[in-house]
Amino acid sequence: MTQETGLKNRLRRPVLWAGLLLILLLTVSSIYGAFIGAQAAQRFFNSIPLSVYWLAFAVLLVVGITIFRRLLHVRGLFLIHLGCVLVLAGGILGSQAGLTLQNAFFKTDFIHSGEMVITEGEIEKIVQTEYYGQKELPFEIKLVDFKIEYYPFGSLIIQPQDRPSIRIPAKPGSGYKLPDDLGSVEIVSRFENFKMILDGARRITFDDPNGKPNLALELQLKFPDGTEKTKYVFERFPGHESPDDKLQFFYRRTIRDFISDLEVIKDGKVVAKKSIEVNKPLHFGGYLFYQQGYDNIAGRYTILRVAGDNGLGIVYLGYILLCAGVFWHLWLRHILKDRIIED
Amino acid sequence: MAIKYTFQGILIYATMAAYLLAFVATLLRQRKIGKFTYLVGFIIGCASVAFRWFDVRHVPMQNLFEIFLLFGALVYPISIFCNRVLRVGSVVADMLIGAVVLFPAGFIFNAEPQQLPPALQSWLFAPHVFVYILSYVFMAKAAVQAVSHLANRQPHDNLLSPEEATYRMVCAGFPLLTLGLILGSVWGQLAWGDWWGWDPKELWSLASWLVYVGYFHFRYMFGRRFPRFSSVWAIIGIFVIIITLLWVNLSRLFPGLHTYAM
Ligand code: HEM
Repeated sequence: MTQETGLKNRLRRPVLWAGLLLILLLTVSSIYGAFIGAQAAQRFFNSIPLSVYWLAFAVLLVVGITIFRRLLHVRGLFLIHLGCVLVLAGGILGSQAGLTLQNAFFKTDFIHSGEMVITEGEIEKIVQTEYYGQKELPFEIKLVDFKIEYYPFGSLIIQPQDRPSIRIPAKPGSGYKLPDDLGSVEIVSRFENFKMILDGARRITFDDPNGKPNLALELQLKFPDGTEKTKYVFERFPGHESPDDKLQFFYRRTIRDFISDLEVIKDGKVVAKKSIEVNKPLHFGGYLFYQQGYDNIAGRYTILRVAGDNGLGIVYLGYILLCAGVFWHLWLRHILKDRIIED
Repeated sequence: MAIKYTFQGILIYATMAAYLLAFVATLLRQRKIGKFTYLVGFIIGCASVAFRWFDVRHVPMQNLFEIFLLFGALVYPISIFCNRVLRVGSVVADMLIGAVVLFPAGFIFNAEPQQLPPALQSWLFAPHVFVYILSYVFMAKAAVQAVSHLANRQPHDNLLSPEEATYRMVCAGFPLLTLGLILGSVWGQLAWGDWWGWDPKELWSLASWLVYVGYFHFRYMFGRRFPRFSSVWAIIGIFVIIITLLWVNLSRLFPGLHTYAM
């Protein structure tokens, strides 16, 4: 036996033990992290002791792969453990600490993550970061247009005084019988921009094609005693009821999507264009731009989340190897075992 | 807790009743009746999922109600597959599992159809949830086998011993659990810009994944000397899964991104 294999043999037991211990430690830390909430957990898992932990885990996996023959030669086991190394390595590279080190080492000024607020028609390059104040991107982003899309109709919510609320689609022409002694409600019409004028004692309502939207529903309430009442419910001004009203009404639309039409401008030229939505970010120049929020009063500006893509490719490669490894090792090789001779 | 006086509710209760009947019949050694009612339960379970799909017009995997509905239908094919192909028994326990997983859908969760909020509109949504559901069924079966192992039960026919069956069920479930975690992470990357957000739900699912990683390594190291401990590990796994699935959503103890999954 050479000295090298002798060392490997002696290392196996402690490495396996250390591996089991690190797995247990991470299980317990994850549960602890779940109790303290996402923000505190993020700080906890990026703290110095945990940074040491992540490095140790990655190193131990690499040592494991080199000293256990099977981890190197059984292809499923190799892919699984290498996949884990890559995910850890990518995570470390993309972390705030990893990036600070890379910036210092390579004299770069890469931004880890932050937020951008851009008004319609404007151009912006400032990113507001969490720890390092304002930073500049090496290119500019223009918000060409911002749109909010809603599901058609929306919902009428009826809140009886001491019973659960009722939610019905706000579709003009539909009627609904209320439970117990509350009568019924009919949705007469729906206004994009509700306007009303008084003609003597008569009220005339209409949809004004000009001006800002003012969504409203006209309801016809029929009470059990035979009386009727016309009622207007506004999206933006809920709750005009008097305290003795048995029913309260709300009109809500559900957002389907928010969309920002973006242009990337470099040296005065448009170099990329994309309409980003909640699950569709823009990827440019080492950064990802996500639709994070918007001006919920006038819909004039958008809030983008900017995240560097450092290490992301390595993490994804790790995911692919890990997945291929577990499916191969635990499923496929058994299914195909008659045809494939392994080990 | 409320009874659902709707067609959907009736379908759920009928499925539960069929599964329970199958369970009782099998316990009373009326195997044929048991098998037949189990199949009937499955057919009604499928009808229940199909009705929901038609009713809400999107893949019914958006909230816990729909997820448990699917669970109820999936138990049967998985149970038959495990018995015939993987030689893992406990079909009787599966009948009970089928009835139990439908209980929250029938009595606890709100069935009101919801429109999809922007974050849920992703092609990753359905596969992410679906592979998780599948893996949870396997892991539940692993726990049942682990309990039989601890109770010294011997299998009949040509089924695997409970210890080996536990391992086989974990082997079946683990790749799906891994895929579920990874799809969730990729989705998080697309939706929020982070492939890992340290959110409580993410951390619980990481913990449940790690428990099974721990199981593999413990079994590799000590499986021969302390086989019972490996089985305890598999039982802890299903507990952590149950917490991942339910507690985070129900308790509102943890502020987090997944609150819309209610
Ligand atoms: C921390 C260091 C780790 C070490 C030293 C280590 C070492 C080992 C060893 C020696 C084996 C047994 C291989 C054999 O069958 O001969 C193994 C199996 C395995 N490891 Fe790891 N491992 C580590 C971490 C991980 C992690 C993070 C995962 C996550 C997926 C993992 C997943 C597995 C799986 C799925 C098996 C197969 C179990 C089986 O076939 O029963 N390991 N590992």
